[in-house]
Amino acid sequence: MRCDANLLALFPPRWRERYGEEFLATVEDGRLGVRDTIDIMFAASDAWISADVRRATISPAGTDAGGRMSINSLLACRREAAAVTPRDALIGAGVMLAGSLLFKTLAYASRDTLPAATHVLTDLAFLGPFTLSMPFWLMKGQPWKAQAAIVGGTLAILTLIG
Amino acid sequence: MARRTDDVLATLGRFSEPALYILISLADGPKHGYAITQDIEAVAGQKLGPGTLYGAIARLEARKWIEPLPVEERRRPYRLTTAGHRVLRHRLQSLQALARVGRARLAEG
Repeated sequence: MRCDANLLALFPPRWRERYGEEFLATVEDGRLGVRDTIDIMFAASDAWISADVRRATISPAGTDAGGRMSINSLLACRREAAAVTPRDALIGAGVMLAGSLLFKTLAYASRDTLPAATHVLTDLAFLGPFTLSMPFWLMKGQPWKAQAAIVGGTLAILTLIG
Repeated sequence: MARRTDDVLATLGRFSEPALYILISLADGPKHGYAITQDIEAVAGQKLGPGTLYGAIARLEARKWIEPLPVEERRRPYRLTTAGHRVLRHRLQSLQALARVGRARLAEG
């Protein structure tokens, strides 16, 4: 249960409110393997950035009287989303721009000596800096462990599949 | 081959296949998350991870192809909407036509 709740903490607060309880029930019904854990980490990243998922989490199901969920078991990992200020957005944009330039420069510099690294760095030139910028805006106010897990996990997976 | 513009499920990207399985699973009545994964595993031999399952459910719900029902003992069942029925029927007809062509070509070869 604790492991499942920790995984749940990777998701945005609205997602946890809307799907958290039934998601935990679903996970508890089956056995959670390594593959499922990776699947959940991917889904958590997706939940932060997908417009579709955001739309679903503001549907009435999470707030209607008949369908209101008990979120008592989620309180341990519940965090209010912090407001993203224009300054946060600018810092996030700056990290993305600087990161893209850095990745591209490193890719260019390594083209003769390390062609394999060039390939990975080129592939990561957008998604890498985007992931690194997430703590400044998309994940602002979230527990640092959740931020570290999402950023580190996503970068590791992107590097492995790159 | 160009993607058919009337294949609305394809707009779900990598979630289009899991979404199709979920629509098929709900075609015979409402089910909650775990029941959906069990049914898909039995019918299609595919095991959906919990993250993929809820990624697809959120997308289907956002498009109003499925709708949530009141929670029953921590589990929320979902059911197909009329639009979901239409999308599923259309997709199955497309697959049927594709299978027909494939079988015919196999027979020719």
